[in-house]
Amino acid sequence: MDILRPDSLEAARAALKNGSVALAGGTELVPLLRDRIVEADTIVEIRHAVPRGIQGTRIGAGTTLGELEVDPQIPDALREACRLAASPQLRAMGTIGGNLLQATRCWYWRLKYPCWLHGGGRCFAHEGLHREHAVFANAPCASAHPSDVAAALLALGATVRTDRRELPIAELYRLPTGDDRRMTGLEPGELILELEVPMPAASTYLKAMDRKRFAFALVGVAAARSPEGTRLALAGMAPIPWLLEDESALDEATPLPGNAYKLEIARALIRRALVAVAP
Amino acid sequence: MKIELSVNGERKEADVWPGESLLFTLREKLGLPGSKNACEQGECGSCSVLLDEKLVCSCLVLTAQAQGHEIVTVEGIAEDDRLHRVQEAFVQTGAVQCGFCTPGLIVATVDLLAHRPEPSDDEIREALSGNLCRCTGYQKIFDAVRLAARA
Ligand SMILES: Cc1cc2nc3c(=O)[nH]c(=O)nc-3n(C[C@H](O)[C@H](O)[C@H](O)COP(=O)(O)OP(=O)(O)OC[C@H]3O[C@@H](n4cnc5c(N)ncnc54)[C@H](O)[C@@H]3O)c2cc1C
Ligand code: SF4
Ligand code: FES
Ligand code: FES
Repeated sequence: MDILRPDSLEAARAALKNGSVALAGGTELVPLLRDRIVEADTIVEIRHAVPRGIQGTRIGAGTTLGELEVDPQIPDALREACRLAASPQLRAMGTIGGNLLQATRCWYWRLKYPCWLHGGGRCFAHEGLHREHAVFANAPCASAHPSDVAAALLALGATVRTDRRELPIAELYRLPTGDDRRMTGLEPGELILELEVPMPAASTYLKAMDRKRFAFALVGVAAARSPEGTRLALAGMAPIPWLLEDESALDEATPLPGNAYKLEIARALIRRALVAVAP
Repeated sequence: MKIELSVNGERKEADVWPGESLLFTLREKLGLPGSKNACEQGECGSCSVLLDEKLVCSCLVLTAQAQGHEIVTVEGIAEDDRLHRVQEAFVQTGAVQCGFCTPGLIVATVDLLAHRPEPSDDEIREALSGNLCRCTGYQKIFDAVRLAARA
């Protein structure tokens, strides 16, 4: 294995060939490399190749969650999502680009069970422990998307700019299928450069977790009101960040025996969030 | 690959694997076992160090990423042969039981007090939320932080 530290976007693009992987803060990738869940012959450190910092409604993909959580100008939902994510140590290194592309925290997957998402035939969470798992779109993989930040950006209607195109954040994600089990739609070597986050009239992010800080969302609810209406998005409820039409759409969920409680929490948080963003 | 590091104000050189964590290099190659290895997943904070004055988990930083940056470990906190007031406060209040979480908490507390010399209880909770302790129930750790802030 080799590590390259290109100092420009062009150099990074040239370095990101087959068999290489981009590294921003490393908080997600370093343990995955160590556990050989991600295999690469070259690590490309992209810190000096992607933008970092906040300019109006544009946020560089290399901006850390720690920088975002104290910025008074970004929408409340995004700032709160960053503040409630992970721990101070992780937010000091972890970038917003890396946060959007983090893999599932399903422990079967992290412990390398030969499960469906790893290319196998069954979902161990369905039969086993699934208290933290998804209640929407949970067959064939019931993993719950862990990103608070992605739910906030989905409610806010953010746009992702890569080195090749612009796409609505909803299109960054895809539900895995039998012949393509990836959960994001980026091409190999494609780099997220920036996020365009429109300013809402009001927004909020509420998060239920097992302890008051430093835990993944059991349920995360983002709400953003703009002239077109109020948009709701959920973290921890589906394999990808989940847009919700309204509270009644919770009735379409398909909870597993051990995680229907998430729907009660979601109902309560949605009501609170709607009050918080009401005119 | 050879990497040059600045650790506790000293230049060090280490021969590392590109995927090697800073924690591994500190402990196994540079003879600095103060930073503890408990989870290697970012979940406990026992490996906390300062990287350019920012508190980070050294188990999640590649040594190669740290090249050219200033690293401070718990070994670099004491002043000459006197304990730092944060270390002194942990000893005095009995905030150390098995001691495994202590180095990480010391570094995190030093970082907190550098930014907030008189932190509120909520600020202490927030700042130490990335450091888990299985023994003390945190109360004595709180006492230690308050004592160090007063000292
Ligand atoms: C213990 C723990 C608890 C956590 N808790 C939470 C939580 O409560 N809520 C939450 O939302 N998150 C949580 N996280 C996730 C954390 O926020 C992410 O690990 C972090 O934001 C990832 O950013 P990074 O820069 O370190 O990514 P890296 O580890 O560097 O990269 C992650 C992935 O993204 C890719 N990548 C990174 N940047 C780009 C880019 N610009 N373009 C293309 N690809 C890129 C990398 O190739 C890699 O696949 C937690 C993580 C840990 C370890
Ligand atoms: S939920 Fe997904 S990742 Fe977890 S065991 Fe099932 S298939 Fe694997
Ligand atoms: S060993 Fe690094 S956080 Fe636990
Ligand atoms: S004293 Fe034992 S883990 Fe904190």
